[in-house]
Amino acid sequence: MQKLGDFKLPHFFNYPPYFTLQPVRDTREKQVQLWKDLILDYCKTQKIFVIGLEEDFALFSNPVIERSLSHEAREAFLSALVSEGRAEWLNKGHRKCLILWHRVQDWADIIFRFVKDNGLEDSVMTVEEIRSGIESRGTELHGIDRTILMRALRVLEQKGKLAIFKGTSADDEGVKFSM
Amino acid sequence: MRRRPGIGGLQTAAAARDQYRLVGENVAKIRTDMMKEQLATFRTQLEEFARKHKNDIRKNPAFRSQFHEMCAKVGVDPLASNKGFWAELLGIGDFYYELGVQIVEICLATRPHNGGLINLQELCILLHQRKSDREAVSEDDCLRAISKLKVLGSGFEVISVGKKKLVRSVPTELNKDHNEILELAQAQGFVTVEEVERRLSWTSGRAIDALDTLLDEGLAMIDDGHRDGKRRYWFPCVSSNSTPVADT
Repeated sequence: MQKLGDFKLPHFFNYPPYFTLQPVRDTREKQVQLWKDLILDYCKTQKIFVIGLEEDFALFSNPVIERSLSHEAREAFLSALVSEGRAEWLNKGHRKCLILWHRVQDWADIIFRFVKDNGLEDSVMTVEEIRSGIESRGTELHGIDRTILMRALRVLEQKGKLAIFKGTSADDEGVKFSM
Repeated sequence: MRRRPGIGGLQTAAAARDQYRLVGENVAKIRTDMMKEQLATFRTQLEEFARKHKNDIRKNPAFRSQFHEMCAKVGVDPLASNKGFWAELLGIGDFYYELGVQIVEICLATRPHNGGLINLQELCILLHQRKSDREAVSEDDCLRAISKLKVLGSGFEVISVGKKKLVRSVPTELNKDHNEILELAQAQGFVTVEEVERRLSWTSGRAIDALDTLLDEGLAMIDDGHRDGKRRYWFPCVSSNSTPVADT
């Protein structure tokens, strides 16, 4: 079986017609479903948060069978993810797409557990610390996309679990947990 | 016999008839008894055979197929009923019913991918993956199980296309044109309109019409990604390495 790094590619990735948007509804639904699963699965294992439609993305082409997805097909598959709440367009032109292999709510739960597990219930951390600090090393939060992290933090903020405030340096924000 | 007039003559005739009937009944009875005896012997022999080779019948697909052949020759269908002594002895009925259910499951699971038409070989491979620790299953077994499914009227059927056998689980009627295209596609897994026209000497309309039908039925998928820019029609049911196993 073909592999991308340590990621096992599914069989359909080697079957040329899956790289062409299918005109028949039932066939297309199946095709879109397979691609959605593949994109989410791949992004999760490779920790990819943003896919640029115009950029090189490993899944968008398969050199072995000399096929690549058209722009239309890329947009169709990502739009299907967006409509399920598993992705979001980052701009109106649909050029960049945020992939939510965990929904924002699930990310919020992960942060909640992370804080509990590390006894940080009443402490203060910077957003950068959560993303790349020692505490988060080895957890799913390590290296998380900043946009997603902020969205998840806002969810917790609305529930009164923490407060976000401007830090001393202009480019970082602080988080005061109160769980 | 000289016919004698009078009551005496009639009585003699009646008595003779009775005698004849008695003898006839006796003969018939002896025949039936003999027949019964023979059947009983046959049955015990067959039972003994089945008992002796029970494991072979269960485990060895080639032996199983020969056993079926033998049964067919003597006019016994071990699959006709699950209540007979065959079922009790061999569980052979259960074997095929179970196989039938698994075939239905696989056909349903792969239908979105292949449109309800699956290569018999591939079906066997998928069956093997399911029952890795179980007895081997041959194509012959699959064919038997499928023939039993026909009773349900669910449209399960085996069609021959070229050298391959395909199992159809949707009520789509494939006409001769479609079959010829499927046969042509076996070489590479796909065809182009041009190829169909050239190889089968069809008009362009006829080829496109048949391909469109196959596409609508979910049996074909289009591929516009090749360098030469010609649209290819792929048929998942004839290309064996394409079935996604993990996601079914």
